[in-house]
This record gives sequence, structure tokens and C-alpha cells, in this order.
Amino acid sequence: MTEVETRPAPRRNGVRDLVRPDRVHGSVYTDPEVFELELERIYRQGWVFVAHESEVPEPGDYVTRRIGREPMIVSRGRDGKVHVLANRCAHRGNRLCNAERGNSTTFRCPYHGWTFKNDGALVAVPMRTGYSEEFLARRSELGLAPAPRVDEYGGFVFASLSPDGISLREHLGRATGAIDRLLALSPTGGLDLRAGWMKHRHFSNWKMVIENNVDGYHALFTHQSVYEAVREAKVSHVPSKVEVYVRDLGDGHSEIDYLPEYSRLDEEFVWFGRAPREKLPRYVAAMEEAHGPEDTHKAFVVGPPHTMIFPNLFLAEMNIMFVEPLAPGETIAYTTPALIPGMDELNTRMLRRTEGAMGPAGFLIADDGEIGARNQLGLAARSPEWLMLARGATTDVHEDSGTVNHDKSSETPQRGLWQHWASVLDAPEGVNR
Amino acid sequence: MTSATETGSVRTGAVGIDPAIESFLYLEARLADEARYSEWEALWDDDGLYWVPMSPDADPNTDLSYVYDNRRRIRSRVAQLNTGSRHSQTPPSMMRRLLTNLELLDRDDDTVTVGSNFVLYEYRYDMSVWAGRVIHRVRTTDPERGPRLVAKTVHLVNAGAPLPTMAFLL
Ligand code: FES
Ligand SMILES: [Fe+2]
Repeated sequence: MTEVETRPAPRRNGVRDLVRPDRVHGSVYTDPEVFELELERIYRQGWVFVAHESEVPEPGDYVTRRIGREPMIVSRGRDGKVHVLANRCAHRGNRLCNAERGNSTTFRCPYHGWTFKNDGALVAVPMRTGYSEEFLARRSELGLAPAPRVDEYGGFVFASLSPDGISLREHLGRATGAIDRLLALSPTGGLDLRAGWMKHRHFSNWKMVIENNVDGYHALFTHQSVYEAVREAKVSHVPSKVEVYVRDLGDGHSEIDYLPEYSRLDEEFVWFGRAPREKLPRYVAAMEEAHGPEDTHKAFVVGPPHTMIFPNLFLAEMNIMFVEPLAPGETIAYTTPALIPGMDELNTRMLRRTEGAMGPAGFLIADDGEIGARNQLGLAARSPEWLMLARGATTDVHEDSGTVNHDKSSETPQRGLWQHWASVLDAPEGVNR
Repeated sequence: MTSATETGSVRTGAVGIDPAIESFLYLEARLADEARYSEWEALWDDDGLYWVPMSPDADPNTDLSYVYDNRRRIRSRVAQLNTGSRHSQTPPSMMRRLLTNLELLDRDDDTVTVGSNFVLYEYRYDMSVWAGRVIHRVRTTDPERGPRLVAKTVHLVNAGAPLPTMAFLL
């Protein structure tokens, strides 16, 4: 299932030729050279989501992640700062930390005993007499390699493995609004992402996974079994019946926006199984106390974002998902609920909703995974060469909020994503976007 | 995996297990293997709980699980599989599982709890092998209706790994 079609390599400056306004070339999902170029240009040089601050709340807390192929440690130092460090011993390269998460002020390499502080500094080299004074004097240069750039927005920590490039704010562009929209549902403005990440192996290209996250066209077909057997969709998936928009936010970010429909209904918690307020008394009280009744009502109506933040973070309403590309035809998706700190009555429901919808056995995502795998299998056929993204191309409207289409089934998000993708891969040497 | 029911004294071998209960467990396994969804669902009692945790010591109140189906959601899962358009199980995986090392873990007036190991061969695009520990809690009090499944917990050996889609009945 993971065999990869080899095709003529695109010339670095020929990536543009693989993307047209209304179509994309099949090789972008299968070509190993495209994949390598993506790892370099998007995952090394650009900003990628690595962790949420709530995952490392106390000094010493750490989680291990990957940026592209590179193993990283995300830790909170004694200084309270979040550090993103290469998980590679500075002596001979041993992967230093082998747990998914934990708490430790130092990491001691089991190979020859070099010990590093959780901010990366080398603090001990055993049997130091074997080293020259000169070498030992330069010990401070032998720490764990920090990610050259680390920044956060709303508790979401991003890193770049390149020292130069645009700021995180520039990278996020209009997508900060989506994070704000999610945080507006928390009385403290914080989230708790510690319920555990569901890890789901998708046998499809990572871009297939992220495009699908903002594809407003597929639900009626891919998820037919849910609507038929389990429950009606929260709002109709027939595009002509609802005011659900799709939007290319620019910079590769895109979304399905339920806000117009929810506002029109002016009903609270449509996005949360239409749970009545009485079922969530503590949460409602905390929200009203923090934000006042009016803003609380608004937040409950408007609900969470359904927004893909390029390249790897998906605000999946009350779930957070991030993707990790493994190979041209293989991707891991990590999913956890966006719990609201201390709101147990809400959080237990949220756990059950995430399990119902998401992950390898989820009512929704299992089928997305299956369809994605078949997509990758289909792409082994080299004709026709192009995949079509023309839906709604003539009805897109340019607004301050981005390029919007009032028909949720339009392929506006994908068009935006691909234009950005091409501009990143095609950017001149030294220009990191 | 060291739940309270497992740390108690284990009654040795399958000897302590009523043959009717043992047969019931094999039936449950076979119905799941053969994608006989409605018949499988009929084995469940009204308070059934089907749980596939992500780690051996998970607490479902605070930790995310792969599957945490109460009776209502079991019904939904089966209904979805029965539509024929649950793409991830259309057509259903070909499966056979071995249920071995049966041990009686607990017994009260109402129920018996049996722990066992399983190996499941699943063929879909490729052959996959799944393995783990399964704990069945079976209610035995209603002779009319026969044994009823109250709880089934599946601890996958590779629960910590990125798992491929598993929309079949574990
Ligand atoms: S490789 Fe880590 S101490 Fe030698
Ligand atoms: Fe989907």
C-alpha cells in the first residue's frame, strides 16, 4: 500500500509547473523528490507546530516530537521558557530522550554518560581527564542544538529549523483569528491538551490529509454511513441548504466556516451536539463570569474554528490535529480534544466526542483514512495527469477575510493551499516563507 | 493492564470457567471475525461497555481512548457497519482470531470476568496482525437469555504506536 510511484524529478524551479489555478499535477503526492523538497523548504525552513504549552506546564516537563524527520525535545526549563531541542546527543548522536513525555531536569545519555540540562546545556562529561583543557573550555558549545526559531501564539508552540525567515505572526497571517476563536470558548483563554494523542497511520500523502480536512465537498459521500445510520449532520451537508462558507485565508491557511449558519440559527452549541446549557452549568457560569453574558452567548453560538494552519496544524473544532509526513504515501495524524482547563463536565463529553469521530476507529476519520489510502492507490495510474480543483473557481469572492466561497463544497481552500505550496517550494534560495 | 480484577488470585486454567461461558467467548470472537454485526450486537447487555484504551493504565475519565462505546454507541457502530457504506469496512476485512490463555479473574453473584490473550489476523489490502489482552465481563443470571456481555476491554500490544485504520470489531 505504501509503494511509491517514481516519476521524473521536478526541477526545483519547475515546481510551479505542477500547480495551476484549477488543477494540480498527480506527482505532487507521489514523487520522492517533491517529498524531499517539502521536508527541506516547508518542514525545515518554515514554521511548524510542535506542541501546546499545556503539554509541558511545569519546569522539567517535556514531550518528544518530530519536525519533518528530525527528533526533537520540547521541554520547559527552570526559567519557565519552552525549549525546542534536537533530540540528539552532542557526543556521537545518540537519541537522548526516548519517552513520549515526562519530567526531568536533565537528560543523561546512556551511551557514554554525557548529561544535558533540559534547556540543552551540556552539564557533565564523565572521565573528563581524557579531554584536553582546550576542549573542556569549549564545552558550552556542545549543548543540544536548539531550534533556531521558536515562538508561540495562544499557547500553540511553533518552531523553525532555519535561523532566517518571516516571523511566526507573518506566517500565521489571518489564521491567528482561528486560534482566537477557539480560545474564546475558554473562560481562562487557556486549553488543556493532555488527554493523550490518538495516533493514526494514514496511507496517503500528508497534503491529501490536510486538504481533506478543509474539503467541504466529500462529507455527503465519504461519511454517508454516519448520516444514514447514526445521526443527522449538525447542519445539512447539502451546500445549497446552508450558509457554510469555505475560505482561503492566505499563506496556505484555509477553513470551512460554519459561523454564518450558526449565527443565522442563533442557537447555542449546535457544534456540540446541541447540548443544553443545563448540562454544562459550571462551564456556563465560568464563561459568563469571565466574558459576561453577551460575549458568552456569542461564543456559544459561533463555536470553534474548522481551520487548517499550514502546514501541519488543524483546529478541528474541539479537536486539535497535527500531521507528520513519513513518506510520500504515508502520514501520521495525531488528534486530541481541546479540553478546557478544570471543566470536567465538559471535558468528559469532549473525550467521548473525540473518540466517536476521530482516529483509527472513529465514525468519521476511519473512512477519511480509507478514502485517502485509495486515493494514493489510484494515483499509481499516471493518466490523467492532473487532479481537478475547479469547483467554485468562478464564484470565489475576494474579501478582507480572504478568498471566500459561499458554497461550502467549493475547492477554494485547496486552491489557496496549492498556490502557497508552490510559492514556498519555488522561492529563491535563501528566501524562507 | 494490572487492573484490580487482575491482581487478585487467579483461578488456574480454564477449569474454573463454565464451558458455557467459554463457548460464549468463542462465539463472540467468531461473530466479530465474520462481520456478523447484528448478531454480535445481540450478545451485549443493556449496560454494555466496549473499551479500547490507548495505554494499559489509562483512566477513561481523563484519558482519550481509541474506542469507548457505551451501549448506545455500540448500537450506532453496528448500524454504521450495517449500512454497507462504512468505506473502511466495505468490503469487511477477512479476519480470524485466536483466543487463548483463558483465566477466570473474578466472579460475583451476577457476573464472571475472564481474561485472555488474543491474536487476530486481518486481511484487507495486506495481512495485518493484531494482538493483545482482552478482558470480558459476562452476566450469567438470566437463564432465559443466556450469557450477556457487560464489558469488553481490549489492550492492544501496540496501543502506543500509530495505528492503521481499525474500523472492524476488535
Ligand atoms: S553518544 Fe551520548 S555520550 Fe556518547
Ligand atoms: Fe471527512
